[in-house]
Amino acid sequence: MTNDTPAHFSPGVLSKFYVNTVIFFLIVPILVGVVVAFTSGDRMEFPIPGVSLRWFYDALSKPQFIEGLLNSLIIALCSAVLATIAGTGAAIALNQYDFVGRTLIRAAVMMPIVIPGILVGLSLLFTLSSYGMEPGLLASTIGHAVVGIPYVVAMVLAALANYDRSLELASLNLGVGPVGTFMKITLPLIKGGVMAGGITAFLISFDNISVSLFTARGDTLPLRLLQQLRGYIDPSVAAISTLLIIGSLVLLALLLPFVMKSR
Amino acid sequence: MNVRPYIHWIWLAPTGALLIPFFLIPILLLLRNSFYIDSPMGFLVPGFTLENYAKVLSDPYYLRIFGNTFLSAIAVSIIALLISYPFAWMLAQASGKGRVFLVWAVYLPIYASVIMRVFGWIVIIADSGIINEALMRIGLIAAPIRMINEVEGMTIGLLHRYLPLMILPLAAALSKVDGSLLRASSNLGGGWWFTWRRVILPISIPGAVAGIQLVFASVLSDFVIPSMMGTPSFPMLAPSIFYEATTNARWALSGAMGTLILLSVALFLICMNLIMRRFAPWAKL
Repeated sequence: MTNDTPAHFSPGVLSKFYVNTVIFFLIVPILVGVVVAFTSGDRMEFPIPGVSLRWFYDALSKPQFIEGLLNSLIIALCSAVLATIAGTGAAIALNQYDFVGRTLIRAAVMMPIVIPGILVGLSLLFTLSSYGMEPGLLASTIGHAVVGIPYVVAMVLAALANYDRSLELASLNLGVGPVGTFMKITLPLIKGGVMAGGITAFLISFDNISVSLFTARGDTLPLRLLQQLRGYIDPSVAAISTLLIIGSLVLLALLLPFVMKSR
Repeated sequence: MNVRPYIHWIWLAPTGALLIPFFLIPILLLLRNSFYIDSPMGFLVPGFTLENYAKVLSDPYYLRIFGNTFLSAIAVSIIALLISYPFAWMLAQASGKGRVFLVWAVYLPIYASVIMRVFGWIVIIADSGIINEALMRIGLIAAPIRMINEVEGMTIGLLHRYLPLMILPLAAALSKVDGSLLRASSNLGGGWWFTWRRVILPISIPGAVAGIQLVFASVLSDFVIPSMMGTPSFPMLAPSIFYEATTNARWALSGAMGTLILLSVALFLICMNLIMRRFAPWAKL
């Protein structure tokens, strides 16, 4: 008896062609964008007439892109920190403690994933003025943190799933305080999940449009790129997007060892 | 086991400090606003009226927006399911380097910004894009086929954006089918149809339901693809809500539209879970 799948369920030529077609569909628009970013021509044409970095210089010398990039970095960094702190705490409460209403609180904490982003943004816009706030960096940071929390909670909960609570109890029994125990025992053990959650929250914030539409003043990078796409489109949008893809792939590569270790 | 029964509230405090004032209260205010009145001056007047709902649910302009959006969400979900099913099967069956490559290919679009994808599609399907240029050069068409800023272009964009959300849960479900199950079925005399119907399909239902839920809810509330690749003659919900709330300053009306999206998403998720309970009672909900 072989270990092979019965013949009619194993891939043939036709199915390989099918798989490649789907992958082609998924990847080609992104590859085309990356290639056009390196064009030496003035238009978005493909194939490109020649290779140059001129649109990268052009993109990085557009003040509206640089300002947007800075705003987006500030918002993403601050909201990721907020979401990571809050989400890690919530995951620990949900995993380590048994209390009345735990299921309800768990559902409430995960809810921002289910609610459409434009409604998170719209409802926040309705509320800002009652807190004496205006759309801007702070409002966007808070809005993005709200959206990021459930991802952090999910990833820290996954890291806590194979976490041995007796180490923590031993530390508490030996007289180390709760803060010391958290810093020396709990946090090192769930570091992978916390990092993964934080980086995910950062990437989600950095790419966010639906919340920023309402909470920012049109000054984050994705909104600036959207305005550029609406008006006069040139390859500079592709150039800056290419830099962002490289950036997020680098972040992901940094993330992988942590995820692997925590498994 | 816990000496101090309140300590979990300390762990939950930062999340509560963010989610209560900046998420739960705002969502409740959105519901409340939907019963308020929009003054012509752009102010929100407290009161209680069902007029906003009556307007959204009877005015043909708004009904069309809801119709368009639901139609797109259903169409994209079905197309995505049909495309993803065989692909997810092969992804689940692949091993080694082939599998790593496939997983990366599915994840890459998720990590490329939506702006980049829209840009790539503009280069490909615009009037002077790759496809039209090629078709005109070989003489198949005389004038460019209009795809971008049409329903077709929007559907392609939505499909491209959300296909991974269908593939990933389906592949996760299908990877639970192992060779021994298939061999058992064929040893017992089951043909490929029987094996698919009795072994593979039941195992894949939870993945398909999860994928449909993700794609449907995402299309329902997508802003970027409809506004960048769609057309004003086929208006969609999210851009319309944005327009009503900001340009027109009709907060009560946009609140009612938002509440209706919330209700539809919730209703859809519940229906799909009921379907799953009926047809795949073994799946964990």
